Amino acid sequence: MPREQMPEFSSSVKLKYVKLGFQYLVDHFLSLLLIPIMAIIAIELLRMGPEEILNVWKSLHFDLVYLLCSCFFVIFISSVYFISKPRTVYLVDYCCYKPPVSCRVPFATFMEHSRLILNDKPKSVEFQMRILERSGLGEETCLPPAIHYIPPTPTMDEARSEAQMVIFTAMDDLFKKTDLMPKDIDILIVNCSLFSPTPSLSAMVINKYKLRSNIKSFNLSGMGCSAGLISVDLARDLLQVHPNSNAIIVSTEIITPNYYKGNERAMLLPNCLFRMGSAAILMSNHRSDRWRAKYKLSHLVRTHRGADDKSYYCVYEQEDKDGNIGINLSKDLMAIAGPLVLPASEQLLFLLSLIGRKIFNPKWKPYIPDFKLAFEHFCIHAGGRAVIDELQKNLQLSGEHVEASRMTLHRFGNTSSSSLWYELSYIESKGRMRRGDRVWQIAFGSGFKCNSAVWKCNRTIKTPKDGPWSDCIDRYPVFIPEVVKL
Amino acid sequence: MGQSQEKGQGQGSIYNMKLSTVGATRPTETGTTHEPTGLDLAMKLHYLKAAYIYTPEMARDLSVTHVKEAMFKLFDQIAWTTGRLWRRDSGRPYIKCNDCGARFVEGECNFTVEEWLSKPDRSVDEFLVYHQPVGPELPFSPLIYVQMTRFKCRGLALALSWANIMGDSFSLLYAFNLWAKVLSGDKINALETSTMDRRFPKTNPTVKDPKSIKQVDPVGDLWITPNNKKMARYCFNLTVADQISPHFPTNGDDQIPVFEILAGIIWKSIAKVREAPEPLTVTIIRKDPNDLKPIRSIRNSQMISSVHVDFPVAEASVEELVRCMERATDERCGIDEMEERCDGSLDYIVYGAKLTFVDLSEVDLYEARVMGKSPESVYCNVEGIGEEGLVVVYAAAKSDERVVTMTLPQEEMDWVKSEFGKCGLING
Repeated sequence: MPREQMPEFSSSVKLKYVKLGFQYLVDHFLSLLLIPIMAIIAIELLRMGPEEILNVWKSLHFDLVYLLCSCFFVIFISSVYFISKPRTVYLVDYCCYKPPVSCRVPFATFMEHSRLILNDKPKSVEFQMRILERSGLGEETCLPPAIHYIPPTPTMDEARSEAQMVIFTAMDDLFKKTDLMPKDIDILIVNCSLFSPTPSLSAMVINKYKLRSNIKSFNLSGMGCSAGLISVDLARDLLQVHPNSNAIIVSTEIITPNYYKGNERAMLLPNCLFRMGSAAILMSNHRSDRWRAKYKLSHLVRTHRGADDKSYYCVYEQEDKDGNIGINLSKDLMAIAGPLVLPASEQLLFLLSLIGRKIFNPKWKPYIPDFKLAFEHFCIHAGGRAVIDELQKNLQLSGEHVEASRMTLHRFGNTSSSSLWYELSYIESKGRMRRGDRVWQIAFGSGFKCNSAVWKCNRTIKTPKDGPWSDCIDRYPVFIPEVVKL
Repeated sequence: MGQSQEKGQGQGSIYNMKLSTVGATRPTETGTTHEPTGLDLAMKLHYLKAAYIYTPEMARDLSVTHVKEAMFKLFDQIAWTTGRLWRRDSGRPYIKCNDCGARFVEGECNFTVEEWLSKPDRSVDEFLVYHQPVGPELPFSPLIYVQMTRFKCRGLALALSWANIMGDSFSLLYAFNLWAKVLSGDKINALETSTMDRRFPKTNPTVKDPKSIKQVDPVGDLWITPNNKKMARYCFNLTVADQISPHFPTNGDDQIPVFEILAGIIWKSIAKVREAPEPLTVTIIRKDPNDLKPIRSIRNSQMISSVHVDFPVAEASVEELVRCMERATDERCGIDEMEERCDGSLDYIVYGAKLTFVDLSEVDLYEARVMGKSPESVYCNVEGIGEEGLVVVYAAAKSDERVVTMTLPQEEMDWVKSEFGKCGLING
């Protein structure tokens, strides 16, 4: 058996180098072509001497009009090129919220509270325990203060105070990190799926930081876990239209008002998985940011499967038979998520064709293009263990590629739209982010949506001293057993 | 267990109670356990209580979040106390260190601190200490309950109810002092409780039949002391100079053994009231005099000793009783061995097995400073007492005063109080 595997292995290694070589060739085609040409010209010029050069110049018979027309033509073409070229959108920096340690919820505490709250429904308690055991969450995930009470006290006030706590802390950190003045924010996008008070969360932010009155603010709600990338897409479109602007995106999910108090099983699931978290991101199109920005946005693709009924109902907020409102996560979710990311999907092929023309010929292996050569890092939304497992299988990713997602799920739980940023922060904290690396962020959301963003790292990122992973990165990666014994 | 933890149900004048949980900030390694010794198991039916009251000047700005975060930092040092009890196959209980947490109770009180402290019988402080026994389900019973009560004037009461299986009163008061330090922003470092530290000196010969311990009927998984009599509580202050010294002849400026004298007076008074059986044997629980190190860990290190007299106590002089108390025999080894022999399968009580006197006067209770100020008042007691009764003596805010908390059968309490009145311990 090993002998058969050896030739396969060595041939796959050869294949890998061929691919890499091809990739390099295509990427740097222009420069590879230009260098020898310039070298030849330079040698010729040196050989000829100054008088000969002048003679060659005179013999070209340059008419003044001819000269002027050619100049204008060149200028015209370059102007059109520069104007129609999309502005580079930079991700200057981002901050993830780290909950206070007093919000920590170990498994044993969660289960004990569950028994006390659902004391006459032992089957529901059993169900929650089984979910928790297999969830892939760790012992350090956090819930907001209101949910720590027996029974929880999810009032509007508490929800607002959770929103203030998570959003303002992340934004304060971002301002400090980037030296941004609140009055310089031109675009503000806040996305929070399940909490939509009046005045909105974006109004809350504007009020707190006294932002400009002509700010373009947006509040996206009801768009699920993929809303983070939807916000990035919106910011990108706005930054194409408005020159020299800063955009702040705040991605979060407010847990307090959405704690399900009934005992319908499918609706108890989110209680076990969703945890507190948020991220604040600064994007801009200032030319001056090209030195300090961490990433450049390469591509962003959005797919919506809402037209298909099964897809539409797989994550559904509803009232159970007792009138308690919660979110129903259907078992069909994984069946639907799978095909979406298989390359058979036309959306991903579109994305690939953009990249594929530049990188490699996508028909080496049977119908699954090798994403591992296209991207150095992957951030898969930490929606749950099943989601990550499924994607790892379908994209044929190694353990290291999905490490960021698994460890984020373990340390922070499912923080919804902000999880992609915690994962990115993990990769940076591990010191793996180098200049030129490409990151693929994939997010799923209710509806059913699948959104992808590709970022290119602008500068090698030093291991951050602060940030959500700073006190625990040395303990990671950890081995997460299939079933945790509670 | 669910009913008594419903939101809103108050204890007496405490209302609007909300329950949550506090624990440690860092996860404990899976599989960590804490094994109680024989002596720990002997104390399992008892629960230690302490309540500290702070005035509005000290505590007005102290929010629930501050208190909880300080608790988290405290439990980082003693994370095993946030675990839960499980049983081995042999039935012997052990603590599974699963970070489950201590129960945190918030309440409000309609009185101001002044009004509360003006009540003469300080046992009203029992309302400030939330208590539930361990059981009926061991793995879901917290070992520690913390109550934070907000008075009408914004003053604060902080109280702990603590299962004695983990550690003695000295450990509890030490833990509370650590918490107060954390609140003021100091860094703390508690020692690990290794099995080595929890041994105590073997006396020679080991007491084979310790008198200070009594076997009770099996309690199963609900750890409540079975009692046939209804018990009552009474708590009062007294001054050493006025009420204790007169009972003892002083030889010049020698230090008088305040605790022993007080214990002797009380013993006599109770002996006069209680005719059968006469309390010829008492248990004395105090800090181990051989333990020169200051308390640095959570464990049962208290010395449990027994005093037996052959003469009728009611007629004896206080001096004689004091002299007998100085010859008390340390029974800890005997107790430990008895529990080890049955591997924790039999249930015993120590407090109240015989009339018990607890000396906490060496502990500086007022070191638990918040905003640099000591508490206005501290209350200590023990829950789950046997029928013979318990007397706890500890320091008051003023150094020349003592506080006495008594738990006696209801039928005896009034008689004993009148005896106290006769010998001048209480006024009127």
